[in-house]
Parts: sequence; structure tokens; C-alpha cells
Amino acid sequence: MPVTVEVPKEKYGGKVREVVIGATKDQGGTRSKAITIGGEAALPFMHFEGAIPHPPAIAIEVQDRKPSDWSPVVLDAWKEVADDPVKWAKAAEAAGADLILLKLNTTLADGSPNTPANAKKVVRDVLNATGLPLMVFGPGQAELDNELLVPVAEEAKGEKIVLGVAEDKNYRTIVAAAMANDHVVNSRTPMDVNLAKQLVILIHDMGLPLERVLMDPTTGALGYGIEYGYSVMERLRLAALQGDGMTQQPMVVTPGEEAWRVKESKVGTDVPAMWGDWKERAIHWETLTAASLVETGADILVLRHPEAVKRVKEMIAQLMSQTR
Amino acid sequence: MRLSADDLKGGYALSCQTVVEGDLEIFVPPQEEITRHLTTEKTAAKVSVPFEYDWRVHQTVAKYFVEIEPPTLADNTDDLARLERELARAYDLRDLDAPLAILRTLARTLRDAEWRVTVVIDRGGARPRIVDILPGDQTLSLYGAAVDIGTTTVTVYLVDLFTGEVVETAADYNGQIKRGEDVISRIVFASKGNGLVELQSLVAQTINKLVERATLRRKCKPHEIYKMTLVGNSTMMHILLGLPPEQIRLTPYITTLNHPPTVLATELNLNIHPEAPVDCLPGVASYMGADITAGVLSSGTHDTDKVTLFLDIGTNGEMVLGTREWLVSCACSAGPAFEGAGVFHGMRATTGAIEEVYINTQTYEPTYRVIGGGKACGLCGSGLISLIAEMFITGVTDKAGNINLTLPTPRVRTGEHGAEYVIAWAAESDTGADIVITKPDVDNLLRAKAAIYAGYVMLAHSVGMTLKDVEQMLIGGSFGQYLNIEKAIEIGLLPDLPWERFHFLGNTAARGAYMALLRRDARDDIAAIAKKMTYLELAADNAFNDQFMAALFLPHTDLTQFESVRKVLQAAE
Repeated sequence: MPVTVEVPKEKYGGKVREVVIGATKDQGGTRSKAITIGGEAALPFMHFEGAIPHPPAIAIEVQDRKPSDWSPVVLDAWKEVADDPVKWAKAAEAAGADLILLKLNTTLADGSPNTPANAKKVVRDVLNATGLPLMVFGPGQAELDNELLVPVAEEAKGEKIVLGVAEDKNYRTIVAAAMANDHVVNSRTPMDVNLAKQLVILIHDMGLPLERVLMDPTTGALGYGIEYGYSVMERLRLAALQGDGMTQQPMVVTPGEEAWRVKESKVGTDVPAMWGDWKERAIHWETLTAASLVETGADILVLRHPEAVKRVKEMIAQLMSQTR
Repeated sequence: MRLSADDLKGGYALSCQTVVEGDLEIFVPPQEEITRHLTTEKTAAKVSVPFEYDWRVHQTVAKYFVEIEPPTLADNTDDLARLERELARAYDLRDLDAPLAILRTLARTLRDAEWRVTVVIDRGGARPRIVDILPGDQTLSLYGAAVDIGTTTVTVYLVDLFTGEVVETAADYNGQIKRGEDVISRIVFASKGNGLVELQSLVAQTINKLVERATLRRKCKPHEIYKMTLVGNSTMMHILLGLPPEQIRLTPYITTLNHPPTVLATELNLNIHPEAPVDCLPGVASYMGADITAGVLSSGTHDTDKVTLFLDIGTNGEMVLGTREWLVSCACSAGPAFEGAGVFHGMRATTGAIEEVYINTQTYEPTYRVIGGGKACGLCGSGLISLIAEMFITGVTDKAGNINLTLPTPRVRTGEHGAEYVIAWAAESDTGADIVITKPDVDNLLRAKAAIYAGYVMLAHSVGMTLKDVEQMLIGGSFGQYLNIEKAIEIGLLPDLPWERFHFLGNTAARGAYMALLRRDARDDIAAIAKKMTYLELAADNAFNDQFMAALFLPHTDLTQFESVRKVLQAAE
């Protein structure tokens, strides 16, 4: 006798906010398209429980000058375009990026401190070179970030870029710049549910609408604390679905940066033979780090290697197609 | 600790960085002086006998006057048997223990007193014990002492054991302070060389000094005190008893014992009667001492149908949740921030301390009240709470305690320790320097209040409740006497309950010791409380840390727990 099994479904009272990045001509910008992320009404890819309206997006990281500390495995993949942010951004678009993440370095190529003039010029050039929505991250030092990101925000006014990273110490300046120029802010906190929520509250208290706030809960690479980051993201997402308004921001993570920092991907010599082929191992490391984070609710994944981009995109496509 | 350029110019030097090459004169700057007597001295006069008391029924020590038949050639019973015979005949007292020290002087005492003596008996043990034999009839007075050994403050109540009244009180700083401000540094000090002996001696000296002060005022002598009851946290108890305290600091945090035996005053170098019983009341665990079990008794937390949260704020924040039926407790290290320590311009609540602050919402100008009414020297705990609340409500800080440097006022600025807010300009201060609160100070206070609030939540969750279920909150510790409920709720130090549910009880530990001193059954109650109380070890999992991080915000990350503050903030907008 056939037995009908009713699959139990969880009902959630909340959902993730939708955030739009980039502005087309109609919307006051010059992007060829804007991208919407977030909006999930269920845990990742639980299509039968609630809508997952937008697939996780891939941002490819491009730097304002050739990075000096990157693994040769990544740099070999981009070859000479890594010398020029404009070409690099175009190549990233061709490699399948949904967004470009432009990371500003601490110093210029000659070793002197990065300048507002350089930052403005690079941002303008990259905006001109590609039609993709743009994210711009400062070097990650509160004071220098403020110095560079304010002119960047002004330069990109109307383009609705993502400004990052706003942290506990310097969020005021970045949020003010985003408010004045109609951008989105990336709120980064060190791997803790409460800290993530607190910074969103602080940013919102300044008057920035929550529809323009992304949440970056920080992550670790595979084997380097990813389970902690995973768990924090999972708890944030559960809180969001349960209706906690200050955790309902889409999540940005940087698995590329994390994965390429670890020995397993960075080092090719003097490692045990059983670690296998360096290049393949390194790409796996980035891919698996990103894949894990896709499963815990990441909305934007910032990646570095084009092959990892391809593999993660394929995985996302499959997960999104299983709507039964 | 770092000295500012002004400090250096003023001749300050860090003692740990200074080599002494000759005679050294140390100048104590005015903000360090303690000019106001501790408030416990003033308030203790109000202590009244808390329950029905008849010394004949309830008291374990007693005095008996006897007239003994002198010996003759016909009646050659020995002196002790002769005394015992009379005590049995007149008072039905039998099977007495007589300490050797008493026996050695017995023959002389009886004869000098012409066989008319007053015998002091301790009935607290299995057999009655002779404590002292006094010439003539001295049954007019009988004294005991209740002592609370705080990490910071020691309080002594001198009690008339006939009437049960507190006749004198004395309080002063614990002499151990010079060897460390908190229990951990005391434990570390005790573990090195002669440290334990020195700390034992320092606290005994403090108690002796206070006993002397109280008896002098009463015009009696310290050795007329025939019983002492003591409370204190487990570290203080270990040190007083000369027990090595180091395991208290080390995981899994085990005491030598939680229920000390009754000892003699002479064994602890306490200058009351040397044979007097000294009763150290029982605690529960390393960080849940007799000060709390005694506090539970005196607050009545163990004897009510209402769900009660009892909090004792000292250097540690200990708390107990319960009713008549059950008690669960935990302790969190709040640190000394609320006592003004670990804050750049913090100080104890003495003359010159700013105890209340208001900030104008438009100009960000503060108005404040100074204890004693003179110029300000610094900020005490209540001043700090009031200041943080005002800074937060007026937007001088954000909810994370970051000082907003973009405000149009010179009072916010970047100082040597980062962002700061000036409460009093140099011209208005007694120290000749601006009195400020810095970002590190705010962080310290936030951590302290977050630890305490996380403790409440952990207790409530452990029994499947929320803080809304708390029907009354009882607050002990001398700190509680100044606390402004509204401000304390605004910063999230107290849970958001209707104000009438909060009651400040003063020194609950000393009062508990006093009750146990008077009545044997009250002492039994404390032992029962210690036995009944469940102790929640917060270090056992990550849940406390989660709650701590959630509380590390003004007033809290989850604003639904602070509805009244939400309304205040809404109104401020």
C-alpha cells in the first residue's frame, strides 16, 4: 500500500531584506544592470519552505595595483591584466562575475601611502570599464579607509556602490559618506552574532535605511575556523527568519581572501607529497570554503581565482534549480 | 596604566619603573585620600533586632552567676567538680568541657572571688564548654560581634547578646587592599612566600582595630566579646582561617571547604576573648561565599513566595534567583569599575566624588553633584552610571559606547587615551586637571554591567524563566545605597522592571551574620540555604559569553528587553 508522507515544513515570520546594488541609467547611474540580493524567506535552498528569490552573487576581487602578497597560482590565472585594474575588471566580468570588488591598497606601487586622488581615479576608470555593479573596500585601516572612501563615495555618486568596510571604530564616516551619496554600506564585525547585530543597529541609528546595509560577519578558511564562522552565519540567518529585524541584512563574505591566505593554498614546495597538486589543491581550497558559506546563507561571495568562480557558480545554479 | 605628560610634569612616576636610590618621600595626592567615613558607619545605627529574640532560648553563649560552697576538710571535692555541682544544681548544666587555659587559673579565680563567680558558657557545640570564669556577678552585660569581611570593606557590629541590639558599628577598608584590590590578586599574593600569613594578619588587624573602636565607644573591653560570627566570600574566609586559597583561582575552582568548623579566637589572632567561639558561616562554592548565603537569609530570598532576584554588587557580582522552594545562584566577575577603580578619574564614594550627572540635550553641557558639595576630584560608581546613562541618552555616545567626536562641543575631544568627554574643566576640579571619562573607561563599565546582566539572564534561563518573571529584586552591598534605578536600567545594569519591584537593603551580608550571631535557628537556616542553593558555573559553556556579548551594548542588543528605555530614546528623538 503506498504511503503518503507529508514533508514537515517550517514556517518563518521573517525574511532577509532585499538590497539593490548598482544603478542603471534610469536609476541615476551608468551600470548596465543593477543586482538584487537577499529576500530569502527560508534557510538556504529550502525552496519548499519559502522563496529564495535571488541566487547568491559572486564578486571577483580586483585591486588598484598588482597585489604583492598574492599566491602565484591566482596571479598566473589573471596574467598581465593584474597589472591594470581596468583590464582586470573587464577580465573579471568575462569570467562570470556578478559584481566587481575593487580593493584599495595601503600603498601605491612606489610604496608611498595611497591617496584620495588615486582612489578616485581608479574607481572612475573601473566604472567606465565595466557595466557591473561595484563594491569598493578600503585597505582596512580605519583612518586611511576614511580618507580614501569619502572621495570615492563622492566620485561614484549615483552608482549605488557598496562601501566597505565599516567597522565599530570607523563606521560613522563611511555611513555618512554613503548617506550623502546614496550608496550601500558593508558592516563588518568579528565572527559574533551580537556584534553583527550591534553594528547594524549603530549604522541604522545614524539614519541609513536598512535597505542599504550589508552584513559581513567575517569568515575563516576551510580548516581555519570556518565552522565558527559558519555557525555564526547560520544563527544570524535563523534569527532573521524568526523576525529579528536587525539581523535581516544580506551577508557578504570573503572566502577568496581567507582561502588564499592559508598555507595549503599559498605554498607549493616543502609540503607533504600526499597534499597533491598545488594548483588543484589551492583552487579546491577556495571553492570548498566558498561552497560551505553558500550553504550557510552567504548572499555575496568575494572570490579570487576564475576557476573557483566557475565551480561555485555551477554549484549555485544547481542548488537554485532544485525547486521541488 | 600610563602616565600623561601632565602627570610626569607633576612629579608622578610609576613605582614599578622606578629604582629607589635613597630615602624616598611619597606624596599622596588629594584624590586618593579618604575623607568621608564609610556610609556603613552612619547607617548601621538603624539596624534593629530583626526577629523575636530571647537570649535564654536562642543564644548559644550565656552567663551564669553561681555562689559556690567553699571547700572544707569535711568536703574535699575538687574545685572543678565543685563548680560543676553548683551549675548543675542551679541551672541544670551538666557534662561541661573545661579548656586547660581556664583550669590553670581556676583555683586562683575562685578563691580571689570568694567563691562567687560568673561562668560564661558556650552551648553551641555538642557539649557545653566553659569559655571564661569571672569574679563576682557580671551578668549585666554579654557581648558578641558580627563581622562582614568584604574584599574592600570590613564591617563589625557589636551586639548586646541579652537584648539582641546592635550597640555599636564600625567599618573600614580591609587592610589587605595594599596587597591587591580584588580576590584574584589576593590569591596570587597569598600563594607566594609568606603571603598567606601576611594577609591573614592584615585582616585580623583590621577586625581587631574595628572591635577596639566599637568597644571603646561602648566603654567595654574587646575580651568581653564572647562570640563572633563572620561572613565573607570564600577567598576572604580561606585567608582568615589561614587556608591556602590558590585552588579557588584554578579550574575547576575547588575550595578547601565551604563549611568551616567553629574555631577559637586565639587561633586566628583575633583580640576578643581568646576562648570565644568564632563561627565562620558556610558558603556554597569558590565564588559563592557565606556573604551571599547570609545575604539570602537577611533579605528573605529563601522565605518568600515571590520570584526574587537577589543581587550583591561588590567587586564581584553575585546573584541568587529563587523562592521559598528553590534557589539558584551564580557569580560573575564584574571588576571594581563600579567602585571607581580601573577608571582614569574614578574614585570611591567619598568627599569630592561626582555622584550624579545630567547632560543638556542641546548643548551637551553637564551639571553634576559632588559628595560634600566642594570641588570635584573624580567620579564614583553611581556618578559613572549616571554619566554613562546621560551620555547615551543624549547621544554623546552611541549604543556601543563610542564617543561621538563630531558633536559641536569642546567637551568631546581626543585625549591621550582616545576619545573622551570632559565633565569638569580644570578650573572647577580639585585636582587642577580636567575630569574626563575616556573610551577605555566606558568600555570597562560596559563590560562590568554586561557581566552582571548576563548573569541574571543565565539564572533565569537555567530555570526556564525570563527576567520579566522576576517579582522583586533585592539589592545588597553598600553600592546599592546610592544607585539610581532609572539610570541603572538605562545602561542595562538592572533589568527593565517596574521601579517598585526594586528594594535596596544595604549590607545584607553583615545583617545575615548578625542574625546568625543571635539565633541558633537562623544560623541553621544559613546552613540549609547553603545546602539548598544550586550553583551555576558560568565557565562551563559558551552560553554566558553569548549573553555577555548581547549585553555589551546600551542598554542591550535586544531592545525588546528594555521597553522603557526604548520609549525614552524615542522621546529623545
